[in-house]
Amino acid sequence: MSTTLVDSPAPPRQEIRHRRRPPYLPWLLLSATMILLGVLTGYPVLRLVVMSFQEYERAQLMGQPAAWVGLDNYAEVLTDVEGFWVVLGRSFLLMVFLVVTTLVLGMLVALLMMRVGKALRLLVSVGLLLAWAMPALSATTVWGWVFDTQYGVVNNLLTRITGDDWFGHSWLLNPLSFFLILSFIVVWGAVPFVAFTLYAGLTQIPEEVMEAAQLDGASAFQRFRLIQVPYVRSIITVLVVLSMIWDLKLFTQVFVLQDIGGDRELTNTIGVYIYQTGMAQGHYGLASAVGVIFVAVMLAIAYPYVRRTLREEEL
Amino acid sequence: MNRNRLVGAAASAITLTLALSACGNAGGAASSPEETGPGEVRVWLVGSDTPQDARDYLKETFEEENPGSTLTIEEQAWDGLVDKYTTALSGSDAPDVVEIGNTQAAAFTSSGYFREITAEEFETLGGDDLLPGFVEAGDWEGKHYALPYYSGSRVVFYSDQVLGDTPVPTTLDEYVETAVDLRTKDLSGVYWPGQDWYNALPFIWENGGFVAEQAEDGTWEAGFSSEGGLKGLEQIQTIMTEGNNAPADTNETDLQVPFCEGQVAFLSAPSWIQWSINAPEEPETPDGVPGCASTYGSDLEAFALPGKDGGAAQVFAGGSNIAVAQKSARPDLAMSALEILLSDEYQTILAENGLFPAKTSLFEGVDQSTSIGAAAAEAAANAKLTPASPKWADVESQMILQTAFSKIASGEDVKAVAEKLDADIEEILNS
Amino acid sequence: MIKVRRRLADTGFGALAVAVFVFSAFPVYWMVNTSFLPNNKVRGRDLAFFPTPDVFTLNNYRSAMFGEARAPFPPAVLNSIGVTFLTLVIALLVGFVAALALTRFQFKGRRTFIVLILVVQMIPGEAMIISVFRIIDGWQLLNTIIGLTLVYAAGVLPFTIWTLRGFVNGVPKELEEAAMIDGCSRAGAFWRVTFPLLAPGLVATGVFAFLQAWNEFVTALVVMQRPEAMTLPLWLRTFLQATQATNWGAVMAGSVLIAIPAVIFFLIVQGRMTGGLVSGAGKG
Repeated sequence: MSTTLVDSPAPPRQEIRHRRRPPYLPWLLLSATMILLGVLTGYPVLRLVVMSFQEYERAQLMGQPAAWVGLDNYAEVLTDVEGFWVVLGRSFLLMVFLVVTTLVLGMLVALLMMRVGKALRLLVSVGLLLAWAMPALSATTVWGWVFDTQYGVVNNLLTRITGDDWFGHSWLLNPLSFFLILSFIVVWGAVPFVAFTLYAGLTQIPEEVMEAAQLDGASAFQRFRLIQVPYVRSIITVLVVLSMIWDLKLFTQVFVLQDIGGDRELTNTIGVYIYQTGMAQGHYGLASAVGVIFVAVMLAIAYPYVRRTLREEEL
Repeated sequence: MNRNRLVGAAASAITLTLALSACGNAGGAASSPEETGPGEVRVWLVGSDTPQDARDYLKETFEEENPGSTLTIEEQAWDGLVDKYTTALSGSDAPDVVEIGNTQAAAFTSSGYFREITAEEFETLGGDDLLPGFVEAGDWEGKHYALPYYSGSRVVFYSDQVLGDTPVPTTLDEYVETAVDLRTKDLSGVYWPGQDWYNALPFIWENGGFVAEQAEDGTWEAGFSSEGGLKGLEQIQTIMTEGNNAPADTNETDLQVPFCEGQVAFLSAPSWIQWSINAPEEPETPDGVPGCASTYGSDLEAFALPGKDGGAAQVFAGGSNIAVAQKSARPDLAMSALEILLSDEYQTILAENGLFPAKTSLFEGVDQSTSIGAAAAEAAANAKLTPASPKWADVESQMILQTAFSKIASGEDVKAVAEKLDADIEEILNS
Repeated sequence: MIKVRRRLADTGFGALAVAVFVFSAFPVYWMVNTSFLPNNKVRGRDLAFFPTPDVFTLNNYRSAMFGEARAPFPPAVLNSIGVTFLTLVIALLVGFVAALALTRFQFKGRRTFIVLILVVQMIPGEAMIISVFRIIDGWQLLNTIIGLTLVYAAGVLPFTIWTLRGFVNGVPKELEEAAMIDGCSRAGAFWRVTFPLLAPGLVATGVFAFLQAWNEFVTALVVMQRPEAMTLPLWLRTFLQATQATNWGAVMAGSVLIAIPAVIFFLIVQGRMTGGLVSGAGKG
């Protein structure tokens, strides 16, 4: 495990410098991280696992000892078809929809930015930046207000345009409609990051390659599929994995939107479900079990990416 | 090699120590020795129900009686209150005196969150004079934890300018019919936002239904899908869909707004909304919410919701309890504040502002010369509480009732909604 | 012919670009618009699309910042700034040296560490809030800037390390070595050669840490319970919870106030950022 080979004859000067690097240095550099993460993340994770095997309610927060119930919490969660499984399935579907939409729109916007002139590109950039910079809380509040049942501007405009009376139309009551609005909000906030990153990646493709392909008769779509995509493939992969993780963990927008309107039970995603079960209802043991299961699921999803990254490390 | 292990071990040791120091302190009972001398008391009052006069009186009197000590009132919101109390009251920086909804108290009294009020203290604070239903709501296993703070029921407001010649209904059925008759595109017969379940309870009770009852063996049974419950729900749906223009997915805040725009014939609301309605059109502070004192507020009247057979219906007993946190750093000062909150003077201020005081002997302080006051008194005499289960707070925070009534307001099948509602309630109460 | 087709295509794409802009910027515009309108123009069928001089009002801002019913605004600003700034500093410092350790060195346990850093990012924060609360409570750090900062720093650290790792990897060791051959010391080579190349990466992760800390809300909800300890997102939420009529004008004014620093910060660094993210991500 030492840094380099110990013995070799008369090494050149720079290699001597390498070897003089103190072997404990990496751990020293990592010590602050280890302590911070160990205490504020490691310990809560440990507690999470422990609580998932206990009956932990409000009384326990006030000092009552917690009883061990083995796998009871897990059994209760995993057999709760109407609750847990529905929420999990819903979160998944939502995640897939969000990731696909965000990536597709992000790519389209990136391509658009490449296609238009400087002024228009600046315009689009400013718009995207505004959307990206808006805090999730503000954004959800404003979108909720835009779609407000009684006084929202959308209902107002729709009434003017279609002539039907849209006032009083609730966008949040119907769960499907709720998720449509939620998707608006999330995608609206997520596309800028994807668009900018893809744009930066695409601009790095040397022009000669694109021109050569064009001269060879490749259509725009073919150029896209055969040159641009492969070039930014690693970026896309990173974006997809990040988006999957972030969208499954979605919390603030759902929580705040539920505050504004809508049926909590029919619109819970897993993050909010854990919060409701734990903080709101006081069933911390159950919530912890759900949390553990959720992490296991996420790990399963991200496993291929983790493995790939590790393999890269070995190179 | 050795040095690496050393550094790794050192880091781990530090981590462990820090973690253990944290968990050592947290959760342990805050059994600091009883302090004396000046200190700080934090009182958490919820929403805007407590009038400013009362708040001022509380602060001044406390600081007079406890020279050197300060009392701070921190305002909380009803939304998310249970979550907040769950953490705040179990931490080391807990507030001292907290207001809690009477329907939510059981969740906390049963978990040891509040300091016990001994029998003697109970007597000093009012004893039998305190509202019995609310005392019950704040007891657990025979001991007192949260005491009544104030109560107030819903009455039906109206303005003659809107009502015109239509007579005031005298039975519940007449109420429903009148609402349907009066409704037009711009006028709600009864303004009933879909999530408002408080107004639904009288219909359930008057028709012979019940919310939830506990059997001998302790299991809870919910009654929305009982015969009486279904009849009540059907009346509710009639009003909501045929007599009402309020959106199906809003709740019962901001009720004075449509009333002040002349869009409401009957407004069933807590008695203190009269102040919001009678606020001036141009609020004096930048914060103020505009009312309509010069228009519909000028001839504001009210009547108690009529019962099935005339008289006043059984209505939901709104109101709050008040308790001292178990983890309060200064229980002695907290009790001093509690005494003031339940004192005759303080409670009289509440009564003068239209709230029903915690002590029945002070009921006459509520001005019953106006129709509003009289209606409020009539309703309060017939008020009922929600089921006394510690898990009821969960039913409320899960928004189960709000959702069910939104569906009823949208016209869904009453029986199906009622059965699901009962199933959901039973699941939580029996969990 | 081709010119015409190209013109048409240009116009088409131009229109699309404008559409993207409108859709992206609309909520921002609506938020700002509403914040300058009096309440009777905000609630009602008669909406104003622009605060013309006859209806323009600063009342909403006054109400948001000085209204008595809300949690106080000045402390909220200071709290947010303090927590965010400290989180930024800690995350960058600690994360940077950690990234260095993980890339420039070979040692046993390195791979495990990297996997842990990745895995930790998948844990839903909501499940851990209660434990975090107890820890901060145990240290008597509830309602303090330090307490919240520690939680936030721990929260953004994994992503910070992960991203910085990508950037450091992107700067080949050979550059340092070349500088050392030319006579620089190790440290000198580092500061003069590697560090400047890492600047975009530091900026990118810095911005991320800033936004996380500035906008975070659930943990703050639990840790900062006194009104004077609240951060801006909590402050804004108190508007939405008012039992009286929701003063939408004030809510929008509050939203604008929260968004302004975030937007400004963003605009300053945005150029560096995306370039940096790409080189980091590409190697990632």
